[in-house]
Amino acid sequence: MRRLTEHDEAEINSILSREDEILPSSGFAVSVMDAVRREAAAPPPIPFPWKRALPGLVVAGLALALILVRGVAAIAQLGKGTAPQLSMSMPPVPPPILHGGIGSAAIWTALALLVAFVSVKLSMRVASGRM
Amino acid sequence: MSASDDQADVERVLAGDVSAFEGIVRRWQGPLVNLAYRFCHDRGRSEDMAQEAFLRAYRGLAQWRKDAVFSSWLFALATNLYRSELRRIPSRTVSLEDIAEPHDTRASDAGQEDRDYDRDSAVRRAVGALPAKYREALTLFYFHDMDIGTAARSLGLPEGTLKARLFRGREILRSKLPQLLAVPHLKEA
Repeated sequence: MRRLTEHDEAEINSILSREDEILPSSGFAVSVMDAVRREAAAPPPIPFPWKRALPGLVVAGLALALILVRGVAAIAQLGKGTAPQLSMSMPPVPPPILHGGIGSAAIWTALALLVAFVSVKLSMRVASGRM
Repeated sequence: MSASDDQADVERVLAGDVSAFEGIVRRWQGPLVNLAYRFCHDRGRSEDMAQEAFLRAYRGLAQWRKDAVFSSWLFALATNLYRSELRRIPSRTVSLEDIAEPHDTRASDAGQEDRDYDRDSAVRRAVGALPAKYREALTLFYFHDMDIGTAARSLGLPEGTLKARLFRGREILRSKLPQLLAVPHLKEA
């Protein structure tokens, strides 16, 4: 590639500095001010209801932390349980969290559905301003 | 255009007098519409983009720190908006390879003005086909009358980065339009 010479640069400068100017249309300022007045007249955006949401957020955070702790404990127990079993060639024992079987899974699923339903209903009530 | 007029209008708007914003619009409508036009080369769209820039300026007026000149803040805001608008809906451009060099009309009857016009429009089309970072650097630099500092502030870039982009952008132009820029400019001869 040929290097840019001073003459080239001057040429490009001269061409690109001569760009045509346009004039805004006559109603431009009026139309901008109409939009600004509409903006000023619009009610301010509704702030996020932190006071109402905070208890839910705290509960959700605690639940998440609990699940993590239980999960880590279950994995640790699984690790303890499998190490000697490998040497004895016995089938691994499932962790306590999995002991409940189908009945326990159904209860957890129902509880999750209930929590989801309650949170949807609650947010719909908050959105419609009935709270 | 006086900076104190801008400051006085901003203070009135912030105190609740919306109509004071009209002074800002009237002072800066030309530059903002023209800057938008350099980005999109579409008159209608440039007015829409400039209107959106004014609306954003109105919404964010309280964020203008008075240690910077109002126009610098306004141009930086508008430039940001125009760049993201162009990324969202790019303007129609042709690729650098497809930009035809104008015919060599030195031997024909066409006048010097026609030849200059052809060459200038080919160079401008080539600028439009450059990668965004070089195109934006060139657009802002020439819009601000080749003032590196103002262009760098509008783009939110260090001056050194802008200079490097300008140099590289011009080099690409030079390499893509070799014949065009090699033609001696008869007026200067």
